[in-house]
Amino acid sequence: MRVCRNITPSGVIKEAVKYSKGVIMKRMVLCLFFATVFFLSVYTASAQQYITLGIPTSLKLIEGYEGHKAAQLAVEEINAKGGVKVGNEKRLLKIEALDIRDGEPGVPTSEALLGIEKLILDKKIYATVVGNFRSEALLAAMDIFSKYKVINIGTIAMTPKFQEKVLSDPEKYKYSFRNCLDSRYLAGYMQNMMKHVSSQFGYNKVFIATQDVLWASATGSMMEKWFKDNGWTVAGFDKYPVGATDFSAGLMKAKSAGVQVILPIFDMPTSGILVKQWKSMKIPALMAGFISPLMGTKAWKTFGEDIDGLMNVVFEIGYFPVKAHPPSVKFSEAYMKRWKEDIQSGHGAAPAYDTVYVLVNAIEKAGALDPDKVVKAIQETDMVGVVGRIKFDKGHQLIFGDDPKKAAVGAVFQWQKGAMAVVWPDSIASAKIVKPSWMK
Amino acid sequence: MLVYGLINSAVLALMALGFNLTFGISGVANFAYGAIYVVSGFLTWTLINHLHLPYAISAIITISAIGIFGGLVYKFIIRRIRGLVISEVIATFGISIVILEFLRYVGFIGFKYSLPVFIKGSVEIFDAYVDIQRLLIIAFGIFLITGLYLFTHHTKIGLAFRGIAQEEHTSLSLGINPDRIAGWSMGMGSALGALAAIVILPLGTITVDSGYDVLISALSVCIVGGLGSTFGVIIASFIIGYAQTITATYVSAHWTMIVSLVAILIILAIKPSGLLGHQKELEERV
Repeated sequence: MRVCRNITPSGVIKEAVKYSKGVIMKRMVLCLFFATVFFLSVYTASAQQYITLGIPTSLKLIEGYEGHKAAQLAVEEINAKGGVKVGNEKRLLKIEALDIRDGEPGVPTSEALLGIEKLILDKKIYATVVGNFRSEALLAAMDIFSKYKVINIGTIAMTPKFQEKVLSDPEKYKYSFRNCLDSRYLAGYMQNMMKHVSSQFGYNKVFIATQDVLWASATGSMMEKWFKDNGWTVAGFDKYPVGATDFSAGLMKAKSAGVQVILPIFDMPTSGILVKQWKSMKIPALMAGFISPLMGTKAWKTFGEDIDGLMNVVFEIGYFPVKAHPPSVKFSEAYMKRWKEDIQSGHGAAPAYDTVYVLVNAIEKAGALDPDKVVKAIQETDMVGVVGRIKFDKGHQLIFGDDPKKAAVGAVFQWQKGAMAVVWPDSIASAKIVKPSWMK
Repeated sequence: MLVYGLINSAVLALMALGFNLTFGISGVANFAYGAIYVVSGFLTWTLINHLHLPYAISAIITISAIGIFGGLVYKFIIRRIRGLVISEVIATFGISIVILEFLRYVGFIGFKYSLPVFIKGSVEIFDAYVDIQRLLIIAFGIFLITGLYLFTHHTKIGLAFRGIAQEEHTSLSLGINPDRIAGWSMGMGSALGALAAIVILPLGTITVDSGYDVLISALSVCIVGGLGSTFGVIIASFIIGYAQTITATYVSAHWTMIVSLVAILIILAIKPSGLLGHQKELEERV
């Protein structure tokens, strides 16, 4: 009970004002308390509605950077349509990306694995997409995905040992999938490219130049064996250290040996110099292989006509519009509209976009978020994506072929006057191979 | 092989001159040199592509800005620890990591960053086509070495450079402020790194990771030639440059990466001060 000590009229008014102020304050505090409780409960409820997808990868490397954006685009599209149907309710998706830097030199695999566990435990992710950059990290991470029953659909690391590991214990490693090319398929595409070159020009003498890293030299060795088994002459096989800036010695060797084709296999930034030197030294041979920095539209802006005539193997179609496969056109336009730039990497981005849809379709088909049920639905996936038809083999590897109606597809394009003209496979080709001007 | 060996040597000499100048004058091993080289490339690229400045103006702005940056790094960081060799290395290497990671953070990733060549086209020399930019690298190398010689022998600051390089305490008694001159040398060394970047980078693309490669190339040339010796750097560039080209031609390009490391090992075993180096030469004799 309040006691008014000051009983003068002005004193009573002051006391009354003080009293009413106190009441107002109390009410305000109460209101704030209830509002906080209300917003927290609404926030928690809405947070529970999200299905969180983790992207643990090398976000500062081009494949990881663009893969993240492509997955984000798919998530936004799905959320705009109301989200994922899980049983009778719709759930929204959200992405938690973490730069685990596993593709950067000097970063130990253990650090990358810690990053993945952090995402799983702290962010409570349901599945990971894009995933590990380096194969060593992927192989080690498969055990973590199994331990926590987290579905992983990777789109960058390419070792065939992935399938071997899945097949070694299908029950344990059933949570891991790969929705991109592996190095066996890459070698297959290069062989098809060489068959195509041989059939068009009758060439059979080649010089191999690769980056001195495991995947590139292994692919080069596979190609060397294939060339020898198929009646080609391999005039030389040079491996260049990472960061090499002068390829003149190899090019001179190729020229003096009279080779008709140079097969480059590189993903280091300085490999663009090889093509510039090929042109400036007027080496009379087709340059056909894989040079990562020359994959996107910006390569022409960067190097201009110096790269005219180069033939490049695309790991997965879809990152640039292929008219014969309309989903790729739709995707590249949507990506451009959302991010105001083209995709520059020929590997990873288009499959990352597809991966989100693969996962969503599987969840909807399973009608639940139970990882075991969803895994089964992913195994049975049969859908048309940006990269072609998506189906997985028993080793959880995306199946590739040469027709987007039947399988996922890689391709070979040639830089022709600033355009990326697809020259193989025939199902999507829009041009014939053109020899560089100094070869005529 | 003769022509491309010469070009390779000129590239190495250009890369190493700035590092060597700073060390020769101030005694500071600037481990941020590779980062300075890379940031120069990105700065020039930005000025050309975002501010649409002419190439020459962009190059001048870059060289000046990087020179000033080098001087400021000395004034605010290195001056306090000068003479403490380990601290200098840690500080400059730390600066290098900060610069390179900052570049990565702000989005300089991918393959689109390249500077235009000065003159397009190629010419035939001894039955081999060589692009004109590579020939310009040789010309710039000669120009830079001549310019450095004239600068250090015929200008007041250049003579002060040589003064503190020869005997810092005596030069102090002649009114030369070693700290100021060391700051100048750090600035000039950085500017030379920027110039090398602008001349060499049009051959390929600019990437953050190449900062470490440039540092290793500069270090190996300077160690073989003798830290602080300009003529040592020139000779070492020729030795390593031609050794790399011969290895790539007659053995395999795969082995070129160890040529400079083998050269360092040999020189450390035979003459640790380097071919023409004077650092610790007296101690070696004793």
